[in-house]
Formats: sequence, structure tokens, C-alpha cells
Amino acid sequence: MANSPAGTVRRDAAPGTSPAPASATPVIVSKGLTVGYKLHRERKRLTALRDISLTVNAGEFVVLVGPSGCGKTTFINAIAGLIEPWEGSIEVNGRPVTGPGPDRAMVFQDYALMPWRTVESNIRMPFELQDLGLSREEMDERVRRYIDLVDLTGFEKSFPYELSGGMKQRVGIARALVSEPDILLADEPFAAIDAMTREAMQGELERFVAKTGQTVVFITHSIDEAITLGDRIVVVSYRPGRIKEVVDVDLPRPRFDHDVKSLPEYSALRDHIWRLVKDEALQSAYGDKR
Amino acid sequence: MSTESKGIAVGEADDSGRIQDAEWTAGEVWQRHGSKLVTVINLAVFFCIWELFARSGAINAIFLPAASGMFSALWDGLTTTSPPGAVISGSIRDHLFYSLTNLSVGLAIACVIGIPAGLLMGGNKYVETVLSPYVWALASLPRIALVPLFILFLGFTVKMQVTIIVLSAVFPIIINAWAGVKTTEQSLLSAARVFGASRYELYLKVVLPYTLPFIISGIQQGIGRGLIGVIIAEIFGGSKGLGFLIRRAADTFDSALMYAVLLVLVVVSLTLIQATRSLEAYVAPWRRVNSV
Repeated sequence: MANSPAGTVRRDAAPGTSPAPASATPVIVSKGLTVGYKLHRERKRLTALRDISLTVNAGEFVVLVGPSGCGKTTFINAIAGLIEPWEGSIEVNGRPVTGPGPDRAMVFQDYALMPWRTVESNIRMPFELQDLGLSREEMDERVRRYIDLVDLTGFEKSFPYELSGGMKQRVGIARALVSEPDILLADEPFAAIDAMTREAMQGELERFVAKTGQTVVFITHSIDEAITLGDRIVVVSYRPGRIKEVVDVDLPRPRFDHDVKSLPEYSALRDHIWRLVKDEALQSAYGDKR
Repeated sequence: MSTESKGIAVGEADDSGRIQDAEWTAGEVWQRHGSKLVTVINLAVFFCIWELFARSGAINAIFLPAASGMFSALWDGLTTTSPPGAVISGSIRDHLFYSLTNLSVGLAIACVIGIPAGLLMGGNKYVETVLSPYVWALASLPRIALVPLFILFLGFTVKMQVTIIVLSAVFPIIINAWAGVKTTEQSLLSAARVFGASRYELYLKVVLPYTLPFIISGIQQGIGRGLIGVIIAEIFGGSKGLGFLIRRAADTFDSALMYAVLLVLVVVSLTLIQATRSLEAYVAPWRRVNSV
């Protein structure tokens, strides 16, 4: 890539070409992962992802972009332990994923808050479902701290239906962070949130994970969001999802404060990723018989 | 999301003076309470026209008594009770008490059977496969067709009447609980699993609360059906209850009493349904917001 502006751009990332610097600790290791769903009525198996090999290192912010239906969510579900691989393997902290665990937490696109629980009770839910060895006081303190962190103090007793979309997702984020997981999985968390709130929340998320050093795997449809947040951007192709290219983003952080959008590297990077995604998006929009 | 920069909550910095007292204008009072006033006037006019129409003699008083006659029969029926030792009571109050007791017992039994059955059918594929043909068959059968059978089995007894109420009310409860479990939102289940829920906890902390409002609307439908069951069972057999009183009033050409009982039934039915609606709104406020 002669005109690749920001760092190295890998083409055709083959299985096993995980771009880990020697010093980095791999946290999520996916090797030749193939996974999909059974379509019972049609008696068919749909392969959602084929041969995904990717290594995510500790503290890295990896963003997956790709057209709708390309299997990004499937990948994140496989990391979360919600679905089992058909072929290949997926490991978290050196152990094969056999199910959900307290080292991973997830933020959902449709918030997935329990409507019968208050803000506080939703955020406390991870403590009810898993034993993290915390005392009652520590749990209370953490719940309070994360409610404050997402700026929902005063709304503890509100129900999700009383909140705006942005506020609901802040509850979702607090719920994911309250157990202080090593890995934060986010499935288009800001997709349903208005543009202004969205940018503000991107900035806050960037700052927060920079401070905690959490590893993040983040799905988005927005190229701008990908460049604003990601250390690496994984472009996923359309049906079945494969890794088309892994792009490093070497823009200064915190990007929200640096106003990176005005940098020439930014628009070049944006242009490059858009070119990669465009073909796939067209396929996704017009079907495979284009 | 960091404590030093409260950047997300736009415009929430200064809350003082955001909420102020605001008097209702006459128009707003009308908008809020006007419909109640209209309803009162509407009903008053209705009963006046009824009274005048009945007094004009256009219809034989056996078919349509004067509204005032009905209200006086209602008043007598509700304020008097039959003397001890009487074989048959003419008091609405006695019969109302009898019918409502049977209805409560029948509904309680229907809940005890219907809620676990519906939950099991929703949660277990095998239970569902085995039970669903019977549930659908009995739910689609008009329950009145079963009345002669139960009279044959149990005679003109309270047992027969309660059995009919249970059979009337149990199926809406089963089917609603079943549907509630089946339609539990997938993303809520995924979320609970990600945060460590076991299978047991998924049922207890997601499926059950999600299904609760469904169960309540099942009970609401069950009340409506159960009330039909009460009246049918009492009209067919027995010497007690509002259904019996309707039959007896008709047999003795006491149309004022008959209309009074019908009015009581309307009020009872509306009250019970409104009560379950309030209960549903209380346990599941998010649904009220979505539906209205």
C-alpha cells in the first residue's frame, strides 16, 4: 500500500498472521474459526464466519467493520461463549472458550436491559449471577461508582423505559464494566444513539479504556467510529465472513481531544477503508447475484 | 464516562428552576376530566330515556321494566338478605356472594393448574408436544357443550359449577403463560447468559418476570370466561347464584329483578377486569408505556 497513510496495512491477512509485537500478551486468540447457524426448517447449515484467525493483545482496541449480515456479531458471540465453534478454536487468556465467564462482558446494540429492573438493579445484575468474591460493601461501592461514571447519579431508581436511548446504553455500559472484566465486547453499542450523543460517548469510552487498559472488541457500521476508536480495524467480507484486511490506525490519542478528523491521514485512512467495505456493502445491499 | 468530565449528560448541569408549578387552564381541566362528566351525563340521559320509554307503555313491562323499578329491585336485593331457614333466597346479595365465592375458588384452582402448566409447556419441548393437542382441543371446544356431561358426573352441585368455572378459565391462563415463555426476548436471555446466568437463573430472573404480565392478562381473560362459566353452570342447574336468580326472575316474570341482576353482572365484570388491568400496569409499567 504505497498510499497507505497511517502505519502498516496488511492485505489478505492469512490464517496465523496475527500482528502481535513480541512484547504483547495475546488475550483473545482465534485460529481458523469457522462457525455459523443451523437453519432447521431448510435443513441447512449457514456458515456465518469462515476461517477467522485473529489475535487480540492485552489492552488493544480492535474494531470490526463490515456490511450487515457478514458475521461480526457471530464472532463476538463466539468470544463471549454464547456459540460454539464448528471448526478451529477460540481461546481467551490461554483457555479455550467453553461458555461465558466473568473475564468477558458485553454491551448490546438494543441495550438488552431487563425492563422490570431499575437502573441500579440492572447494573447490579452481574453480581447476582456470578460470584466475584466481593463483599456486600464492595459491590455497593462499585455499583455506585459506575453509576457515577456513566453520569446516571439521580436516576438509580428509574426504569429503562423512562430513559432516553443514550441513557439506556450508559446503563448497558455500566453493567458491562461493573464486574471490571479484562475484555469488553461491544456489538454496535452506539448504533441506535443520535449523532451528537454518540460522539460524546465515543470520547468517554476511549478515555475510559485508555485508563483501565481493558481489551476491547468493538463492532460498528460506521467507518468514522472505527477510526476514532480502534487501534486496529478488521474489515470483514460479506457472506461468509472472512477477514479481508487488518488495518493499523496510528493516529494520536486521545483522538476525541486531538480532533483527528481534520488530519490528512484521517481522510486517507477513511478513504482506504471505505474502498474495502464498499464492494462488500454493495453485495450485502443487492444480494449475491449482482 | 469519566468523573472529571461529565460531558455526556448534556444540559443537566443546572437543574434549579427546571420544574415549576403550572396551573391547569380551563381547557386542560376539560381535557383531563371532561370525559368523566360526559359519561355521567350520558348514563343519566340513557336511564331517563329508558324510564320515559317504559312508562309510555310502548313495550310490555314484562319485557322492559321502568328503570326506576329496576333500581328499586336492585336496592332491595342488595340491602335485604333472606331470613334464616329459607329454602330459596330472593336476595341479590346472597346470590352474588355465592357466585363470587365460586368464581374465586374456580379462578384460584385455574391459576394453580394453569400457571405451572403454561410455564412448563413453554420451557420444556416434550411437555409442550405431549400437552399441546389436549390444550388446543379443550380450549377450542365451547365449554357450554361440556355442561351436560358434568351434570351427569357431578349432579347439580357446587363441584359441578366450580369444575365448569375452572375449565372456562384455565385455558387462557395456560396459553398466555406458554406464549410469554416462548416470546421472551432473545437479547435479554443472551445478556443474562453473558453475565453468568445458569439455566435455572435464566428461568428465574428473565423468563419468569418477562412472563408475569402475560400471566396477568391470561387471568384477566380467565375472569371473563370464568364469569360466563359461573352463569352458565347456575342457569343449567342448582338453586343458588346470580345465574339461578336470572332464571328464577324470568320464570316469575320479575323483569325488574332480572335487569337488576344483569346490571350487577356488568358492574362485577368491569370491576374485576379493571382490577387486573391496574395490577398489570403495576407489575409491568413498561408495557403500559408501549401500548398507550
